[in-house]
Amino acid sequence: MALLLNDDITQQIREVFDGLKNPVHIMFFGSEKNCAYCDETRQLAEEVAALSDLLSIEIYDMDADADLAVKYNIDKAPGLVIAAKEGEQVTDFGVRMAGIPSGHEFTSLIQDIVLVSNRDSGLNPQTREFLKDLDKPILLQVYVTPT
Amino acid sequence: MIQAEMVEATEFPELASRHGVSGVPQTTINDGKAHVVGAVPETNLLAEIQRVLAE
Repeated sequence: MALLLNDDITQQIREVFDGLKNPVHIMFFGSEKNCAYCDETRQLAEEVAALSDLLSIEIYDMDADADLAVKYNIDKAPGLVIAAKEGEQVTDFGVRMAGIPSGHEFTSLIQDIVLVSNRDSGLNPQTREFLKDLDKPILLQVYVTPT
Repeated sequence: MIQAEMVEATEFPELASRHGVSGVPQTTINDGKAHVVGAVPETNLLAEIQRVLAE
């Protein structure tokens, strides 16, 4: 398959990734069943992961790796987990993408990687104060369209 | 304690329809407990989360 990212885009991403501080681990979950964008999303994630030595990627299948999908709360394919990694230790910050991150959301993917690499949410002090004492799970789902 | 997920609405139309997604971005909190339409400031989203937790 031809590359999804052209030379211009690749160069721009490399410049952004020059500022990465810590390792980031991308977990891709695909599915054999009824998944229109699994192949493209996998390829996109692999091409992005190849652009920095601080990035790693692992490919999983929602059915074959069902235990892991449950552990990371992945119920849609394609699904991406953007996690931190120190040595072999993967740390989940709860960052997910369901569906292909194309158009504007490709920028979101790159920004997610930068955020996780910096290990800093960028949230304001008031929000951090609230989150420190949070003891109930919160699921935020941001619906977007590929434009 | 927080999971934040981008959901591409056209690939998951049933989910988008269940949550009444008509404009994007729309943020759904805890599977429909609250909805926030638009790219709102951080404080607004925080207020909605706190409202959901207080229910």
